[in-house]
Amino acid sequence: MNFQQLAHPKSAANGIGRRKSEREGGMKMDNRLHSGKSGISKTGSIGSMPDSKVGGNLSPSHDRLVYFLTRLIGHHVEVQVKNGSIYSGIYHAANVNKDMGIILKMARMIKDGSVQLHRANTESLNKAFAKTFVIPAKELVQVIAKDFSLAGDGLSNELQLEKRQEILIDSCISQARHVDPERELKPWIPDEDDPQRPELENVFDIPSDRGWDQFEVNETLFGVKSTYDEDLYTTKLERGPQMRELERVAGRIAREIEGEETQDLHLAEERGVRFHDSFNIDEETRFSSVCRGGVVDDSGYVEEEDILLDSWNTETFGSAPASIMIGSLDGTDTDATQASARSSSTDGPETSHSSVGVDLSQIGADDAGRLSSELTCKSVLASGDDNRVQERSLSEQRGHTELDDAGKLPPAKDTRISKAEGKSGSSHKGGILAKAAAPASSTVALTDHNKMNSRGDLLETPTLAKSGETQSVDSHGRPGSSTSSASDRLGAASAPTGARLTPSSSVGSLSSEKSNLNPHAKEFKLNPNAKSFVPSQTPVRPVSPAGDGSFYYPANMPGVHPMHNMPVGVGMGGPFVGHQPLIFNAQVPPGQSPQTYLHPNGPHYGQHMLVAHPRQLPYMPGFPPDMPYKGRDY
Amino acid sequence: MATDSAAAAAAAAAAAVSDDFAIGCFLSIQTTFGDEFEAQVVAFDAPSNILVLQEGSKAGSRRNLRLLKADYIKHFTFLRHGEDPLDLSKCYIDLDTVRAREQSALRQAEAGAERIGVGVTSEAQSIFDALSKTLPVRWDKSIIVVLNEVRVSSPYVPESVSGGTSIANERVKKVLELERKKLQVRPTQ
Repeated sequence: MNFQQLAHPKSAANGIGRRKSEREGGMKMDNRLHSGKSGISKTGSIGSMPDSKVGGNLSPSHDRLVYFLTRLIGHHVEVQVKNGSIYSGIYHAANVNKDMGIILKMARMIKDGSVQLHRANTESLNKAFAKTFVIPAKELVQVIAKDFSLAGDGLSNELQLEKRQEILIDSCISQARHVDPERELKPWIPDEDDPQRPELENVFDIPSDRGWDQFEVNETLFGVKSTYDEDLYTTKLERGPQMRELERVAGRIAREIEGEETQDLHLAEERGVRFHDSFNIDEETRFSSVCRGGVVDDSGYVEEEDILLDSWNTETFGSAPASIMIGSLDGTDTDATQASARSSSTDGPETSHSSVGVDLSQIGADDAGRLSSELTCKSVLASGDDNRVQERSLSEQRGHTELDDAGKLPPAKDTRISKAEGKSGSSHKGGILAKAAAPASSTVALTDHNKMNSRGDLLETPTLAKSGETQSVDSHGRPGSSTSSASDRLGAASAPTGARLTPSSSVGSLSSEKSNLNPHAKEFKLNPNAKSFVPSQTPVRPVSPAGDGSFYYPANMPGVHPMHNMPVGVGMGGPFVGHQPLIFNAQVPPGQSPQTYLHPNGPHYGQHMLVAHPRQLPYMPGFPPDMPYKGRDY
Repeated sequence: MATDSAAAAAAAAAAAVSDDFAIGCFLSIQTTFGDEFEAQVVAFDAPSNILVLQEGSKAGSRRNLRLLKADYIKHFTFLRHGEDPLDLSKCYIDLDTVRAREQSALRQAEAGAERIGVGVTSEAQSIFDALSKTLPVRWDKSIIVVLNEVRVSSPYVPESVSGGTSIANERVKKVLELERKKLQVRPTQ
């Protein structure tokens, strides 16, 4: 800062009351200001004013002035001096001890007071910029700062504002080169002074003063009656004696919500919480992009669905779904992938409740005569990898199933495993089961299983389910990533859960546990000799009418013509997906696993095929008539 | 003028003592230079005789802050009382913000200073601004230098374009012509 030009001898003269900070550029006014206005010693200034009345005001007034001067630093101002000239520059500092002198930076004269103003301005010349420009107190007439906001508190939001203004957006760039010459604005003077004419300027200025009620006026002038009734547009507010209470409570709740700590950047911004310490977060993240968070939201979302469907299921099925799933899983094809594929067909949180039920029945129906216990379970386990459900809490159960994998799976475990598999295998369904199971086991929700009498055969498994469930409860801790391989989780989960898992080898032992399940349910007996399901080459059932033209298939895929009947949910197939392998495999050489929908279709199917996803539902109704589940015997 | 200001100063001093400059008051002021405006008193500092006023309506869009030396008030009218527009509980200043704002303003001003020609008429400045929209231009005293080779001197007509390759020269002439035409349509300041 260049102070040689400072022509302010008087500022050097004073002692105590002098504002040293002002002299040095106003930067050090903080200590005065921060300590509160009362803390500033005014002895020097006050001494000069004998009038006590004014003296009483003096201290705070002076503080105010200082406050404004500090707020002004950095602002563009126009300063008028004694000879009428106006200088424009950036306000830098002032000294207001005895009199006010100002220092500007990058100042230049924009209006020459010594020149006759009548002359056309075309002749006026641009003046050079002075890096630092001092205006002594004697010369100073007034300082005008345009667009100065009184309310701003000079805190960080303003800084950000400034930063934003520095960013060169297109309009900024083009405008900077093309400054529209501003005309000197003169206040409008009405042609004839009509005292009755309301002051146009002040109509909205002092609303409280004028007591203007537009409805009243309208009525008197034009006889227009207002039929506005606030209650038509909003909930009627009961204004009774409890009003204050309610208001208070509501206010408290509102404050709580608003004051909640949030990790969400946008919410924090809204609540005025300075969530970010640095300004390194770019604007896009701060203001516009969707917060994806560190955790994959899939799991959360699915969890929601799980909970939702879980509650539905609990109401209608109790723990039955578990048993159903168990049974169905057992009946699953030998080919693990198929099983998982089918179960994954149940994935898709969008499926409605009814579809879940349908699915259950469908899967149950599939069980008939196709029990291949451990093999199925294991295969399902192994193939579960690409299931979205992998990340479910059920992984834990899978963990211990995997643990016991190598053929020494006791039947009990098998069922449990299969149950677990069933759960995990079927995407959200698995989740549902887990949840259903969890509360089922812990509460008495199992009472509802009576509704599942039609599935009586498999109801024995609920006992197993129950024991398995207990683990599921524990394992319900949500794994963070949806992409971690199932095996990882299995390995991790197996250790803690293994302890809990009693390697009882018979269903019977487990069934001896207290169970609220259907006592009449037929005990599940593993049939190792049951024929494993092998998808046949021809579709077992006719193509659903919802199929053919209704699916979107991209024009660039002439090769997959036969596939367009396929529901396209890649890993997201709805309940009907279970149906899929049947048709699917018609085109596919036997043994090829449809588990990854992708590869039979070829890699070019890709993501865009998901468009057909919404079509799943209409596809489904074809199921129940074809595959009624009617209590199969094993 | 001298007597005016003396009288004004006396009046202002009297007003200060008599509390007419109470905070929050709306005044209509005419300065010795002929400026007239209405504003609300935000602060008044007696020793320096500075009156801090806030102009503009409640709309908040054109609020100006004016620091006026009361000596230069020719006369003023008391309009009405008002509330203190300043909320004392919210008056905090973050020095870092202040410094940063100043730095940023200085940067912008310095960048802008390059574009302003010294000692040139505003017409010349307009031409410069117009040219700079599409061509790289800079000032060299009072000569506009385009593309670092073509020079346009006063009176900034196509004829005064010189230098540079013929292509560049032609181009600048053309642009200048068009910009001038555009400028003529707009009212001169």
